[in-house]
Amino acid sequence: MHSKNNKKPKLLWIQGLTCNGNTHSFLNLPFLSNILDKFELLYHPAILSTYEFSQISCCDLQCDVLIFEGTFDPQMQRNDSSMKKILLHYAKDAEYIIAAGSCASFGGIFKEVSPERNSGILFNEEEKNGPLIDYEEKIINLSGCPIHPEWLGYVLEMITASKKIVLDELHRPVELYSTLAHHGCTRNEYFEWKVDAKGFGLKEGCLFYEQGCRAPMTHASCNKILWNEVSSKTRIGTPCLGCTEPDFPRKNFFSTQTNMSIPQDVPLDVPKRSYLTIVGIAKTFHIKRLEGKLIDYKRAD
Amino acid sequence: MARITKEERRNGIISAALKLFSEKGFYITTIPDIAEKVGMSVGNFYNYFKSKDILAKELVLYISEYLGSQIREINERDISTEEKIYEIVSMYFDMADEKPEMIEYFLRVYLSNREVFAHGCEGMICVSAFVTEMMIFFDEGVAKNELRNQDFFSAFGLFMGYLGGMVFLFGEKILPEPLEWYKVSIAQNIYNALKE
Amino acid sequence: MITKELIERIEGEASLYLKMKDKKVDFATVVFPHFRGMESILEGKNVLDALVLTPRICGICGHAHLMATVRAIEDAYNNAGFGVQISKKAAKIREFTLIMEMIQNHFKWLYMVILPELRKLLGEEDTHKSQLKGAYAASLASKAIALFGGQWPHSSYMVVGGITADPTYIELLQAQNHLEKLVDFFEKETLGIQIESFLSFETCRDFNTFSSDVTEVESKLLKAKMHRMGFAFDQFLILGEHGFSKPMKLKRTRILNVDAKYLTTEEAYTPDVKSYAKNALYNGDYYETGPLGRMMAQGAPLIKNFHRRYKDSAYTRVMARIYELASVLEYARSLLGEIDISEESVVKSVDIKKINAIGEGIVEAPRGPLIHKISIKQGIIKEYSIITPTQFNIGSSTQKKPTPVQKAIQYSSKQEALFIFRTFDVCSVCTTH
Repeated sequence: MHSKNNKKPKLLWIQGLTCNGNTHSFLNLPFLSNILDKFELLYHPAILSTYEFSQISCCDLQCDVLIFEGTFDPQMQRNDSSMKKILLHYAKDAEYIIAAGSCASFGGIFKEVSPERNSGILFNEEEKNGPLIDYEEKIINLSGCPIHPEWLGYVLEMITASKKIVLDELHRPVELYSTLAHHGCTRNEYFEWKVDAKGFGLKEGCLFYEQGCRAPMTHASCNKILWNEVSSKTRIGTPCLGCTEPDFPRKNFFSTQTNMSIPQDVPLDVPKRSYLTIVGIAKTFHIKRLEGKLIDYKRAD
Repeated sequence: MARITKEERRNGIISAALKLFSEKGFYITTIPDIAEKVGMSVGNFYNYFKSKDILAKELVLYISEYLGSQIREINERDISTEEKIYEIVSMYFDMADEKPEMIEYFLRVYLSNREVFAHGCEGMICVSAFVTEMMIFFDEGVAKNELRNQDFFSAFGLFMGYLGGMVFLFGEKILPEPLEWYKVSIAQNIYNALKE
Repeated sequence: MITKELIERIEGEASLYLKMKDKKVDFATVVFPHFRGMESILEGKNVLDALVLTPRICGICGHAHLMATVRAIEDAYNNAGFGVQISKKAAKIREFTLIMEMIQNHFKWLYMVILPELRKLLGEEDTHKSQLKGAYAASLASKAIALFGGQWPHSSYMVVGGITADPTYIELLQAQNHLEKLVDFFEKETLGIQIESFLSFETCRDFNTFSSDVTEVESKLLKAKMHRMGFAFDQFLILGEHGFSKPMKLKRTRILNVDAKYLTTEEAYTPDVKSYAKNALYNGDYYETGPLGRMMAQGAPLIKNFHRRYKDSAYTRVMARIYELASVLEYARSLLGEIDISEESVVKSVDIKKINAIGEGIVEAPRGPLIHKISIKQGIIKEYSIITPTQFNIGSSTQKKPTPVQKAIQYSSKQEALFIFRTFDVCSVCTTH
């Protein structure tokens, strides 16, 4: 995007009720300084910027790209100023509004503090009735708890390159959220042959059947763009928590909800009958290689 | 006279084979027996089923799909789980009454001659159409809080073992009353055992 | 006349209400304005859900919360009679990732908070360029965490009986390599000297022979007279049991026993505006927590020297945190070398539904002891309470009985007070969980 004077676009990062997880995740971005160089940073909760918050809260400035992190609480104040007033002021003239994290996208974990009044900036879980509903065409949701730094890096770079960011019906960039967290998990073969993990702390087995992994139902690129450039939850044996979806946080994270041993939720858009038929067939076969240990350290030469 | 289609001929073989297997037994019935009953040459028979073992497996699939589609129809009805149990029991007992060769085949051939089905029908793959529908039934029953959540096989064994046992007794002519007389009490017992 | 100062960039914000007298702080109260109610969010939830929820109290020290939670749950298991064992491997990996989070925290505090604030205090210009050095170093530390924990921030890889990860030598070697790269960066960019040399310094004169970011901090602290102000009560509290710390309290240099049962909290004294933070006390008294106490306990010659000369001044506090950064980097290296991947990752224990008990988990987070207390009934959380280190350091009490930070900023100018406040490394979100 180009500002009128061909100066750098103005970036403003403000927060609702948050843990700062998205801020810290973003600080892990490789090439962070390249990205920051493309913007004039009006304010950021951790990085030195042009203004102090007391100047931002006076509401006589404007920005081009507005980032909001945290749950929106209409009664929240920062520096004795209403965050609702501040948000609405900057949203009006911003060309892009980015919800950084699941709290800002859907309400997330801190919606529970005051469920009747807290929400995301556009969505309230799945309903589109947040405070910035009038600006919905400008809003990009980067859900995730926290966001992956490269997801925000992607959006900011697409903006500076003036490229259109295609969004899904939840306003999430399709290039990041079309894949499932399931795509690229190193335990895929266990999923394919329905070999359950026999508990935590093992390299073997799929975490979907008993350990509550939500990856086959969750839109994310965690196993495509690795976390911290090295890994992901499911690769090291922690079930996906489904943190990019509007129903995060769910309950009973570490176990799969089953009805008579049948998983309540099956992979996204797969008809239950089809899924159960395949499971029934796959579970009939006992493939020795997949049922044993992946690595046999004691194998004699 | 309309020509009989391949489909109809195939179904004819299936029907005849089921009757013969359940009347005379699996090992005693021969391909020529079946071909004769259908009214075709043995050579032509082999165009439809390459061997007796293949026929045996196809019969299981056939029954399983039939049962599966019946249960699916019940599953899709907007009625309570308790009523669904009655409908499934009723359907199963009606089948045992009107098409005894199907359930008989299942109990007396499939379950009793495992060696015939060792290759190609491992585990439950040949009955998956039927088992899948029972899974859907249980899943929805628990999701609606009408059935108690428990292990699948515990519930499945209770339901199917019970039905199979009653049909077996019926086949042995031990039951004093007609099979349909038992529908209500059996359905009630199953519901009481599985309900939330 | 009371002026209000907004302090930002402390993982959230706080307001300092200053009563000045002759341009010096006579008395100040601290208000933390935001409330998120994690303790009530946790009530009624499945116990294991706490492993997902508590890390989300804080973006910079969420891992410490994760460990405090798992320790509390395991303690509850023990109290219920179902003792949980964890393998040495799981214990060491947990400790390693905890340390790496501390390292990440201290780098960010040094480069993103202290250096810019120190320069500002002395009237120098600054941009975010040098801040990003801290972000870069922190990202290397996060990589090492992610190799075992899957991701940072917000991994939930610690479970009852161990960890979900079952690493091979590949992950171990990769972690070692990232750590070496980080140490390399630290030595070249931050210290300007080898870690081992720095750790064996004996006096502040040892800083005069070279120049680096750390010597810049050291000399600027002296220039700003931080060695003559920022004194709290010269008593310190350590409660977490780790390879790098043992529970104890220190009154000056005297080491004494502690018992977590003497911990209490009280409402903050903030006459002007409501604060959502509670003060934490030990045996009815205020203690400082964090690196200064931990380094005093370790008894390193350089820290002893600082303390002898400058007591618990802002200078000592800052230098001690830098020293701890070097010290735990060394410790992390040795920890990695001790991990035996052939041990079990998880030792199985009974189903959580069988547990009816209370448990307590204490961890030395970057800023001091973090205490989680959980009350479990048949696998459900009946009650959950949390005390964070900032509650010890940055409490707000009366003039008669001030907290460490209130004492520390007395008699300094407003600008000096704002800097001294930050030498405690404040975490606003943790404090108002």
